[in-house]
Amino acid sequence: MDWKKFFVAFVAAFGFIFLFGFLWYGKLMHGAHQEVPTLWRTEADFGNHFSTLVFGHMVMAFFLTLVCARFVPGGGPGACATLAILVALIYAGADMITFAVQPLTTKILCGWIVGDLIQFAIAGAIIGGIYKAAPANITFVKERSP
Amino acid sequence: MKRFILAFVAAYVFMFFWGWFLNGVLLKDVYAETPNLWRSQSEMMSLFHWIIIGQALLIFAFVAIYASGFAGGGVMAGIRLGFLLEIAAIGMRLAIYALQPFPEKLIIYGSISGLIEMIIVGAIVGAIYKPAAGRTA
Repeated sequence: MDWKKFFVAFVAAFGFIFLFGFLWYGKLMHGAHQEVPTLWRTEADFGNHFSTLVFGHMVMAFFLTLVCARFVPGGGPGACATLAILVALIYAGADMITFAVQPLTTKILCGWIVGDLIQFAIAGAIIGGIYKAAPANITFVKERSP
Repeated sequence: MKRFILAFVAAYVFMFFWGWFLNGVLLKDVYAETPNLWRSQSEMMSLFHWIIIGQALLIFAFVAIYASGFAGGGVMAGIRLGFLLEIAAIGMRLAIYALQPFPEKLIIYGSISGLIEMIIVGAIVGAIYKPAAGRTA
């Protein structure tokens, strides 16, 4: 694995995921979230847990980068974005389960699912655009002759 | 395709019963500590189809990732994939914990059980799904 490129891809993915999360979930969906105020921490309480938010995003970005690096060692924005969309579908499934057990609105559910898909697709494309292992580190699967 | 469907069904059945046992039985008292964060029992039952669809989507995506990239690796490759994806999900869980006032122990128990769940899902998928001949050597 090319750790230098991996690190650059991870930092770029983290930066994008955090910024997108702030804009999409924090700003664009702010009104929708306020329809169910009892579900969220107060501003002060959220401030006390901000480091957990940052750490959670770092973990997400790191492991998304790791999955892309293992799965698509040759890199490429298209292949990594496709993989990341599949990962986003896992999160979308989890969002649906959350909707069934927590008093979220359908607007919030739709916003979360669309957000996950956009966020992961772009993050995957960024990772794929940056991370490309050296040819010597890529193991190709040999095609079986007919 | 047949093995894809078999892997999907087996993993789905496991996830369904694991989810019921964990959330409905083992963690019932922990959830009861924060009733304002959850729907009532009757409301949850009326939205139960969302749990079924959500679990199906989650398992479908997992098997699709495995089938398109990790196929041929067997049980260990499935476990590795399950582990990686669940650690990323723990990151998401931590981010949500920063926003919603869940009890800390719910995050800890949820993360440990999620890891066990996805490792077993990975093992099931890895044991059942085999790539079509001609795609790998």
